[in-house]
Amino acid sequence: MEHKHEPKTYPWRAFPFAGSVLKNLFSKPATTGYPFEPAHYPERMRGHVEIEIDACISCGLCARSCPPGALKVDRAAGTWTINRFDCVQCGNCVNVCPKKCLAIVPGYTAPAAQKSSETFTRPKAPDTPAAGKAGGKPENDAAKCVFCTLCAKKCPQGAITVDRAAKTWRLDADACVGCGVCAASCPKKCLTLK
Amino acid sequence: MQSMNTIEPIAIADFIPAVLRFKQQGWHVVQICAARLPDGCELSYSFGKEYDLRTLRLTVGDEEEIPSITEAFPGAFLQENEAAELFGVHIVGITQDYHGKLYRIADETPFKKKG
Amino acid sequence: MAKQSIVPFGPQHPVLPEPVHLDLVLEDEVVVQAVPSIGFVHRGLEKLVETKDYKEYVYIAERVCGICSFGHGMGYCQCLEKLMNVEIPPRAAYLRTIWMEMSRVHSHLLWLGLLADALGFESLFMQSWKLREKILDLFDATTGGRVIFSVNCVGGVLKDMDEGMLHSIAVTLSDMEQELRPIAEAFLRDYTVGTRLHELGVLSAGQAKSMGAVGPMLRASGVALDTRKLGYAAYGDLDFEPVTAKDGDSFARCEVRIQEIFQSFSLIRQAIAKIPAGPIAVPVKGNPSGEHFMRIEQPRGEAVYYVKANGTKFIDRFRLRTPTTSNIPPMLELLKGCQLADVALLILTIDPCISCTER
Repeated sequence: MEHKHEPKTYPWRAFPFAGSVLKNLFSKPATTGYPFEPAHYPERMRGHVEIEIDACISCGLCARSCPPGALKVDRAAGTWTINRFDCVQCGNCVNVCPKKCLAIVPGYTAPAAQKSSETFTRPKAPDTPAAGKAGGKPENDAAKCVFCTLCAKKCPQGAITVDRAAKTWRLDADACVGCGVCAASCPKKCLTLK
Repeated sequence: MQSMNTIEPIAIADFIPAVLRFKQQGWHVVQICAARLPDGCELSYSFGKEYDLRTLRLTVGDEEEIPSITEAFPGAFLQENEAAELFGVHIVGITQDYHGKLYRIADETPFKKKG
Repeated sequence: MAKQSIVPFGPQHPVLPEPVHLDLVLEDEVVVQAVPSIGFVHRGLEKLVETKDYKEYVYIAERVCGICSFGHGMGYCQCLEKLMNVEIPPRAAYLRTIWMEMSRVHSHLLWLGLLADALGFESLFMQSWKLREKILDLFDATTGGRVIFSVNCVGGVLKDMDEGMLHSIAVTLSDMEQELRPIAEAFLRDYTVGTRLHELGVLSAGQAKSMGAVGPMLRASGVALDTRKLGYAAYGDLDFEPVTAKDGDSFARCEVRIQEIFQSFSLIRQAIAKIPAGPIAVPVKGNPSGEHFMRIEQPRGEAVYYVKANGTKFIDRFRLRTPTTSNIPPMLELLKGCQLADVALLILTIDPCISCTER
């Protein structure tokens, strides 16, 4: 290793930190008094995922987009299951949800001795298969369609391709999750879910 | 700022001369990366000089041997070992060759196969 | 020749927050060679890209490391945006810059604390981390996470900051700047800290370049190379010069990092003053194809993100060359000829991040 031989002047100061030490000695603690004082969480804090199960259509997009695979959706039973101990609070499920029925809210999952999952079941509602109601794949009535491309823009999966010039409407049935957002946004009400 | 960022394919015979030319012109190694191809591997050697980046691209078969650049750039040994271990690329003459002992992993060459 | 002995160092060691192992070949108390081995926490995250949707992988890229997380997400997104020819809205670029610079402040304060701890200066360690806590609170309030922010997406950012938030950042930062001065003074002017760091582990500019040093390590040796100058995100609009020092010793590396904290304060202030109104993300449709190398400046140095895409939603290859990968070879160079007692401190001065390196 090389060594410098020219004399160097160092800008030493005597006890540069003594002031801070004395200040610390006579000031309040920097920490909070948890658990005697409650912890304060900011509004945006990503603590845990909550679901408004009534609005859920069991499209399964959240479960498919979950990086750690902490979510399970059972379409037939209408259930939504989360393993809170696998969840990494990334918020991807909330971002992809076409019905915006998921929310990520402050507050941590309580610690437990064992990993467990929590299941929410959608109450059975009387079936009203109308336009805008989810449940099947959309079908287009080409006679009414004006090829406005609004459905393609709204589709969370990008499953709809509309060509204005050629007047075609195509659905990628594998990508479609049957969320019904296209039908709800259609100005001509030419889409029906079947 | 406008800067160079190119990928240049190169034959294995021209590779070491090109690396030595980079060395003479004052470039340094930025990164070394392997990527899997259906029948072999693709190796990218990126060199940087100030804000320019030039990448040399080698395409090699499964059993082909690649000369190490550690004689010219000793700092490259870590990334060469990494490519050799994860992708099973045959890099010969690394000044500090770990012979598969750099990573403590259960599988041999885990990145070589798909999926 | 004196008798040689080998001392194993790590992977568990009081000054090492993360696992790296070195075999130190000693002659008496002097290190003649150091042989590293890593791979204690290799997770194969680069491989995971082949089975995850490219938009979903942003969250995994962020989780490569807890300190550099914002940069990893941003580097990955920028690389994909380049491949897909997506121009992100200016407001998103400014927001990314603000968060990135806040990450730098947080990372450098963390390092200062660790350095003080390695020196045995416990109250200085506490003071540095107390200051860092303010930045973490700002992250919590603006993004919703203290260390993993999950605000990046391909095409922009997911969360906006309103006037009130930007103002509170500006206010907190000026408070922090006042509080940082006595801490910086202690690192740069204290006799004990100074004598421990001066002329320890000198890396010349030539060595730094040939061994591939990056970031503060390279700049402390007098090479003014800072990839933020490439002008990605909003850096092209902001006024700054790379911080350098000429000595190349441990003190120079400490000095560069401290000056970079002040530089980050200035960059955030400039960004807050200039931030334009507008949307924060553009919709991205379709799948990427092609390949690109993206360089960004992480707190620990230049990181390289490489994405090779094939036109499907799964990416063929993602490579992340982290700053520490590049800084380990020059670190070994520093260790040659040093005293055994200095090894721990020298390893710390490169600001190693092994979990990044192992991905």
